[in-house]
Amino acid sequence: MRIELEVWRQDGPQDRGRFEQYVVVDATPEMSLLELLDRLNDQLVEQGIEPVQFESDCREGVCGACGVTVDDRPHGPVPKTPSCRQHLRAFGDVSRLRIEPLRSAAFPVIRDLVVDRTALDRVIWAGGFVDVETGTAPDADDVLITHDDAEQALDFAACIGCGACVAACPNGAAHLFAGAKLAHLALLPHGRLERGRRARALGQVLDDEFGPCSSYGECVEVCPAGIPLAAVAAMHRERLRGLFRGKAD
Amino acid sequence: MTTGERPGFLARRRRPTAPASEPVRASQSATAFGAEVDSMAPQLDAHVPAGDPLTAWARRCAEYRLVSPANRRKFTVIVVGTGLAGGGAAAALGELGFQVDSFTFHDAPRRAHSVAAQGGINAARARKVDGDSIVRFVTDTIKGGDFRGREADVVRLATESARVIDHLQAIGAPFAREYGGQLATRSFGGVQVSRTYYTRGQTGQQLEVATAQALLRQVQRGTVRLHTRSEMLDLVVADGRAQGIVTRNLVTGEVEFHAGHAVVLATGGYGSVYFHSTLAMNSNATATWRAHRRGALFASPSFVQFHPTALPVSSHWQSKTTLMSESLRNDGRIWVPKQGGDPRPANQIPEDERDYYLERRYPAYGNLTPRDVASRAARDEIESGRGVGPLRNSVYLDFRDAIARLGKAVIAERYGNLFDMYHDATGEDPYVEPMRIAPGAHFTMGGLWSDFDMMTSVPGLFVAGEAGNGYHGANRLGANSLLSACVDGWFTLPHSVPNWLARLGSGPLLAPDAPEPQASITAVNERVGWFLASAGSVRPVAFHRRLGALLYAGCGVSRSAATLGDTLDQIRELRAEFWREVKVDGRAGQINQELEKAGRVADFLELAELMVVDALDRTESCGAHFRAEFVLPDGEARRDDAHWANVSAWETTPDGAHRRHSEPLTFQLVPLQVRDYR
Amino acid sequence: MTVAVAGPPEAAPVPRPSTFVLKQVMAITGVIFVGYVFVHMIGNLKVFFGADSFNSYAHWLREIGYPLIPHRGVLWALRVVLVVSVVAHVWSALVLWVRGRRARGAHRRRRMPRLMASGARLMLPSGLLILVFVGVHLLDLTIGALVAPETFRSGDAYQNLVASFSRLWMAVFYSATMVFIAAHITHGWWTMLQDLGATGRRFRMVWITIGVMIALTILLGNALIPVLVQLGVIA
Repeated sequence: MRIELEVWRQDGPQDRGRFEQYVVVDATPEMSLLELLDRLNDQLVEQGIEPVQFESDCREGVCGACGVTVDDRPHGPVPKTPSCRQHLRAFGDVSRLRIEPLRSAAFPVIRDLVVDRTALDRVIWAGGFVDVETGTAPDADDVLITHDDAEQALDFAACIGCGACVAACPNGAAHLFAGAKLAHLALLPHGRLERGRRARALGQVLDDEFGPCSSYGECVEVCPAGIPLAAVAAMHRERLRGLFRGKAD
Repeated sequence: MTTGERPGFLARRRRPTAPASEPVRASQSATAFGAEVDSMAPQLDAHVPAGDPLTAWARRCAEYRLVSPANRRKFTVIVVGTGLAGGGAAAALGELGFQVDSFTFHDAPRRAHSVAAQGGINAARARKVDGDSIVRFVTDTIKGGDFRGREADVVRLATESARVIDHLQAIGAPFAREYGGQLATRSFGGVQVSRTYYTRGQTGQQLEVATAQALLRQVQRGTVRLHTRSEMLDLVVADGRAQGIVTRNLVTGEVEFHAGHAVVLATGGYGSVYFHSTLAMNSNATATWRAHRRGALFASPSFVQFHPTALPVSSHWQSKTTLMSESLRNDGRIWVPKQGGDPRPANQIPEDERDYYLERRYPAYGNLTPRDVASRAARDEIESGRGVGPLRNSVYLDFRDAIARLGKAVIAERYGNLFDMYHDATGEDPYVEPMRIAPGAHFTMGGLWSDFDMMTSVPGLFVAGEAGNGYHGANRLGANSLLSACVDGWFTLPHSVPNWLARLGSGPLLAPDAPEPQASITAVNERVGWFLASAGSVRPVAFHRRLGALLYAGCGVSRSAATLGDTLDQIRELRAEFWREVKVDGRAGQINQELEKAGRVADFLELAELMVVDALDRTESCGAHFRAEFVLPDGEARRDDAHWANVSAWETTPDGAHRRHSEPLTFQLVPLQVRDYR
Repeated sequence: MTVAVAGPPEAAPVPRPSTFVLKQVMAITGVIFVGYVFVHMIGNLKVFFGADSFNSYAHWLREIGYPLIPHRGVLWALRVVLVVSVVAHVWSALVLWVRGRRARGAHRRRRMPRLMASGARLMLPSGLLILVFVGVHLLDLTIGALVAPETFRSGDAYQNLVASFSRLWMAVFYSATMVFIAAHITHGWWTMLQDLGATGRRFRMVWITIGVMIALTILLGNALIPVLVQLGVIA
């Protein structure tokens, strides 16, 4: 397969950046999107061009390190699938791809396709955790959790923190990410004890560093973990609850 | 090339040799390994409390010295790695009030490779009436490790395992629950009880995310300083103890020294030395290898586990082998067609023409034999020409019977995300066609040698998780890796590191301008400079790919003196070629993945030699280390307890020669016996 | 980059009022509008029962609560609430729109072909259209200036309505605007669900269904009137 690539090159955060045209002549349908970039880099080095910098780690869709925008879609054309698990065979009859970083004001480009996503960590840092000191937890079998609550918590906890939801959002909002965390912890007995303060703290970061949600729903289209749009509602529910209740829990 | 040359790297663009600090030359001498005989090997003391191993950990905890809460903030502890072990240790030490500096080369702590573990975490909670107990856990783990692990350590693993589940569920891991609200469990390979706790097929992810959250909580509290995108490139040893690390900021390229009263390495395993492995693209051995070059002994480097349920390599440009959880073997049946090269699709092969070889050869454990046994059996089938798939390099893992018995919905709930992942990776639907699996390099039982307190042979340098050699002997049981990382990080180091600090006292930290850090910074800068000035033509990744192929062929699921000898020579040639031909594009002062890769591959090339040296040296078959010359008449591994009931811990001298130290192993709870899963 | 997560990158000015507050303002005023438009539509249906029915309804609107409440008291109260809501709704929308653009960053991206996203995209233009429509509507049938029919007579609501809708362009404008109002309400109603935090699966299904039904009812109930006037059914 011959694939023409238009790849975003940007030397550093201050550089303006531009698209460069490349061609990979020996792509195969089994290749993942990132393996296509690997192959491109082999060829670039042979041609004396600096390889394209892009992030990836586990390449199994769980670490959340990877993520590029392909033809205007964060992660690539296959819905709800991370870049590392997007295989060319699923792209249909393509001969041309435009690849650029995840785009959002909250994610400044560091170099080429590598962006800085620490804004997401600041959301967690603000309160996306449970205040339990090591060794003090009660017997987990004495803490009863219904099967359904555990499963539902897991639906939200599946978030891999890739940031595609933010990049997909025409408003640059991180409601799906933050909502998933709030919904996940609110369903668990220990997490429930500080729902209010957590919601207020996370909400603050969300307001300060990201955009508003207008229910475009494009975030769920690209979310590799299948986080449902109800996470956004959960986000507002937790904040309203925290606001009116005014307590830590 | 001239020895001792230390050229100004900026002066000459093209140099066909490695920088002077690289041990290319010395190790090319043929006598670099295994010259010592057993009795000559220096004996190591693991500082295990004498007496009953069942109470050893409790007694040791009672002996440990403590640091008073008011004094804790006067101590700085460096923790490298933010996986379950490193993240747990940093969070727990931070909670106690120590000043922790936590390092990760990722952009976020949550991305550490613990995140990719799938199937579950073992715990000897023994609530069910299926016969589980602490002793049973120890027996399974010691036996699974083929009697090459330290018994008292495994008792600690078992004892602390109950608390691990309690703690992780409290900090946010939503473990699977029964309808009655209790924790659900399942079975893993090498055991006959159900003690594996799980969250669908994403247990590692949930534990890692919970751990990273707990770490960020301490960052918010101000007890942990988190350094992201910082890669450790050297250990600083001064006054005979670890006093800090040298890191390179991967964004700015800045090389910095960070001082600490103790250093914890929780940097994971080195399975990615095989290139095609289940590890992440960035997983590497640089931190542990650099510590080794500064004096920390490296134990059992040849003990590498090949995961039997990895996906086969199916194309040339494939960047890694994807892992499929071992939990799949609970419900999937492994088979190959009886007729080698059978052209029919799997579903058209009738029942009586299928060979469920694990069930046939190991009826007691069936599809749930330990990983080394399952991998070896798969390799036997593939090598005898009965492999399946286009390249005939895999075996079937079939869910047809389980789907018929339990229904598709139950299978989907248990393994849905794994099936999806398989579908993405291969384009085949495992609900309809059987999966194809093959052994892939996975977990490294070897690592930096540590004593009972998790301290390496360098005082003040601790190790945790897969980076160390603890617990697993010559083969790790499924779902024990998450456990060992958690026990080390959350429940061992928070006891043993303060003990070291209490003995040390809160003296001043090593000054950045002291000679040792300066020498390290210079060495790191020189290496970086050398790479960027190199004028070869080959990307570092190409050498990595070739190294992996060499190791798979020569030091893989099965090894022999002949293949190992050849491989050793080839690795040395490859290393020389690397330093001649490598090309690193780009600059130092920005993200430069070629540069990162070059340093990691350079270290892999040294480590690979030690792996082969160790495999050649250990003249027995045990666990994952299967030497073709040492087999029982029925083809099973022949262990040699008379000579090899010990841990080989290697020293590499500055000139690159390897010297074996030996830690004798004794067994009180689990008598030495031949492993039998039939 | 070293201590990477120790707080916001630089002390950027924190936007006030917060996005959350503005979204809640949008949601609450949105509820008021949907309620108002729905009731208004029911009132409009009086037109089918003839001039007397319609005119007495218009008269009653001015007399609700009399003598407890002065003439036109409720009507003015409603007008004040509506004006405040409009101002708050529009202002919040514009502030949020600006913030969204800023948060998206400099790089535009082609959007996904998706119904919900199209609804969201339509909110600002349809909102502006509705603003224009409200102006036209007030001038046309309440104030009786500029765009009003020449025969406008204060108090004879039925006659004014028929006269206005007899003009083809006005009938088309009304009917067409109703399509956009319905679209605006559908997405607004759905967003309200999100903003007020309803997460239950069944509740969400029911809510969305109700929203679509309200929007369709308003569309049909209102758009029918100009059409029927044009067809001569209402005269």
